[in-house]
Amino acid sequence: MTDRRIAGVTVDPEYARWAFEQTRPQDVRKKPEALDGLVVLDMSYGNFAGLFASSWLAEAGAKVIRIEPPQGDIARKMSPYGIMVKDTGLAYLAEGRNKFHITLNIKSEKGRDLLRRLVEKADVLIETFRPGYLQELGMGYGQLSETNPRLIYCAIYTYGQYGVEAELHGSQPGYDIIDQARGVIMSVTGEPELDPEVPSEYKKPLKHGNWMGWYAGGAWAAFGINVALLFRNRTGRGQFLDCSPPEGLMCMSNYIMQYYHIKKEMMPRAGNYDYAVFPYTYERCKDGYVFIGAYADPSWQGLCEIMDRPDLAETFPTPKERLTPANQPTIQHEIEKFTVRFTSDELLNMVDEYNARPDRKGVVVMGRLESPREILQREHWKERDTFIRVQDPYYGETLIQNSTLKSMSRTPGRVKWLCHPVGADNETVYREILGLRTTELRKLERDKVV
Amino acid sequence: MNGVNSYTHWVKSMFDNKSHPGELEALEGVRVLEVCALVLGPSACDYMAEFGAEVIKFEGQKGDNMRFVTPYDYFWKNMSIGLQIQNHNKYWVGMHLGNPEAKEIFLEFVRKADVVVDNLRPGRMAQWGLSYRELKEVNPGLVQLHVSGYGSWGPWSGRTSYDAIAQSMGGLPAITGFEKRGPIKSGVWIADWITGLACAIAILTALNYREKTGEGQFIDYQQAENVIRWLDWTWVYAGLTGKDRPKAGNRDLAICPSDLFDCKDGWVAIAAFTEEEFAGLCRAMGREDLLEKYRDPLMRLPDEEARYLLNIICQWTKSRRVEDVERAADEYGFAASRVIDAEAAYHSTHYRQRGAVQEYDDDVYGHMVEHAYPPRMNLTPSRIKWACRPLGFDNEYVFKKVLGYSTEAIRELEKKGVIFRWNPSIPCQNPPPDWDGKKGLRNGGGQG
Repeated sequence: MTDRRIAGVTVDPEYARWAFEQTRPQDVRKKPEALDGLVVLDMSYGNFAGLFASSWLAEAGAKVIRIEPPQGDIARKMSPYGIMVKDTGLAYLAEGRNKFHITLNIKSEKGRDLLRRLVEKADVLIETFRPGYLQELGMGYGQLSETNPRLIYCAIYTYGQYGVEAELHGSQPGYDIIDQARGVIMSVTGEPELDPEVPSEYKKPLKHGNWMGWYAGGAWAAFGINVALLFRNRTGRGQFLDCSPPEGLMCMSNYIMQYYHIKKEMMPRAGNYDYAVFPYTYERCKDGYVFIGAYADPSWQGLCEIMDRPDLAETFPTPKERLTPANQPTIQHEIEKFTVRFTSDELLNMVDEYNARPDRKGVVVMGRLESPREILQREHWKERDTFIRVQDPYYGETLIQNSTLKSMSRTPGRVKWLCHPVGADNETVYREILGLRTTELRKLERDKVV
Repeated sequence: MNGVNSYTHWVKSMFDNKSHPGELEALEGVRVLEVCALVLGPSACDYMAEFGAEVIKFEGQKGDNMRFVTPYDYFWKNMSIGLQIQNHNKYWVGMHLGNPEAKEIFLEFVRKADVVVDNLRPGRMAQWGLSYRELKEVNPGLVQLHVSGYGSWGPWSGRTSYDAIAQSMGGLPAITGFEKRGPIKSGVWIADWITGLACAIAILTALNYREKTGEGQFIDYQQAENVIRWLDWTWVYAGLTGKDRPKAGNRDLAICPSDLFDCKDGWVAIAAFTEEEFAGLCRAMGREDLLEKYRDPLMRLPDEEARYLLNIICQWTKSRRVEDVERAADEYGFAASRVIDAEAAYHSTHYRQRGAVQEYDDDVYGHMVEHAYPPRMNLTPSRIKWACRPLGFDNEYVFKKVLGYSTEAIRELEKKGVIFRWNPSIPCQNPPPDWDGKKGLRNGGGQG
């Protein structure tokens, strides 16, 4: 007997059961945390690359101290339409997870003194200021690494910490839209350049809907910090990490730069097509959109059979014809003439039936385009705890996406608490980590240092 | 020299001193066995390989499917460009793990490895007797990561997933595209690349835990779930309002202004959120009058206000050149940039200076220019050492170096078909037509 809730359509239900036992969501809290004992100072300001970087570490058990200026990080105000839940916007609510939120005025000498003392106890420092800002305040890597040579210092900034563009634009702040614009991928994302049916005002670069620049930058920073930790463990040496989010996108830009190297030719914006695999595209249908993948010759013949369009199979018989930019809008629209006549469910059934036929030409792959609300209804994500509703005493019930590190069998990642208000953890951090007495802390508050 | 430049020069000197090839590598001594194809799994291993991990890649008889996937169906010196992009610094072995003898050999490798990564259908490794259950018996310190669309268990486990499906099942195209237009797929296989990165983070996190306890573990990573994780405020918004996040083109619904604007000669991205930055932008436009009402960033975010302001900026940029707007941003302290395309990035002095784009000479394919993975690290920078390889190219070297096999034993395995090299009749598995039979082979390991 296989339980489809666990085994799905896997080839080996017994393995599925074993994997479930290893990564059962209910057991997460009973298990140890991978980065327990690691102290991280997240000094990012107005920048979700820094916040996402420290989320990876916080989900894995590091003690992340979120350092904000006394009036709070402006990232708390980056919220759709300006919707706020008390002092905090929706994006920050999602990335405040597991962090200790303290305030510190680094513009005052006393504040800098406190920061130096925190750095002495820290393993990792993350910052997103303009290049050289902390050094001017006497707290750059050069200065801090003298007192703590084991420190891993990660600076995240659009133009990086050196190079001609950093010198030219070092006075500019960093933003997701800039990271995306400079990350090469945006230049080839958007409505297709060569499709005559697309109005010209839409023929321009398009960003990913999410903060892909910031999130990629943050993930690269978390990756680099983990690499540096392993190295430090072997050698005792900390180091300086210079993380530029556009570089994090550029290195994921498929084959376009390699193709340019070889042919000295650019590739036009492909829209929903792809110049290496096609059809591999989104098509309109009666009730929305579907994905169709049928790029190998047998799969393509299969799709043409389903659509009853042998003429298409004949006109575009091999990848050579299907991957030609000039042909792709034609193929796209010819397929669309078929798909718009059916709903996504009808199409999915049709393809399943075809794939099950013994005389099929090849396997056609079809998928749905889901809206956020549809995703929230799916059993699979419920079984796997992909989303959690946190009952927060201050912010109320809040839905957030769970840690994706939760399926580590020995040290699963987790969300322990949502977000805390500005300065909520001052007591805990300053007393426990720095050993300040209550009277000292009150004085710092009066002097507007914390 | 101003303050910023003296700082950037100091940082540069820190990197210049340390980044000679042959110097320290952060992941030196970390051995990774890659049982992967396509982009997702290979990219996870690639990220580690450029920071010094020793990645041994196992291919079946046909080879990685990306050997057959290349833009415009164009093969360069027999090489698929689609294979090259996520396969650097790796050792290439032709051996199908479904073969019972190969299975035993693979376990010998596992004894001497730190990490095994697979992105096959969930359960495939188990059918071969090579799931983590068996692997940990021979090496309890092993970290094994499996990644697939929906992971090893759950109602959708085992369903086919491609990058574009992971994007669409994760909700990315639903929020990407212009207002009142259709959903748009990323111009690249973004769900593969970012999930590969997340897998690398998970593996390194597990290795850092192993440093303390010696214990390995199993990781079950889901691609579509990873896309969900990266969609910032989408879910909090749906939970709070019961609404789907709308598509908004290049406009950022949570930051204003932040958008892409038309100029006389192209497009420019502009952002300015803090009061100071916004004031800078207003001064640059000669519109200080806007400051009074819109000083507080929260005043700019309601839909109508945002549209009003973006339209004003649009009128301003329309009659200007991209370069003028960028200069104004440098001067007034807001953010503005052109859109960088492949050609601009390829020729960028900045990216070359930083090692973000690297030039190298590959023994098999010759001169290459490619992007290398971030972040830039002053002691242990990432380096591209060599390109992808023909099928089974490193068989001899790997079997000798890692397992200590003799030449005769290797010949025997070849005869039995347990290990194999490129098939001369399938060009994309082969070395370049003018390959001399030696170049790029290690340890003098010429065949025969």
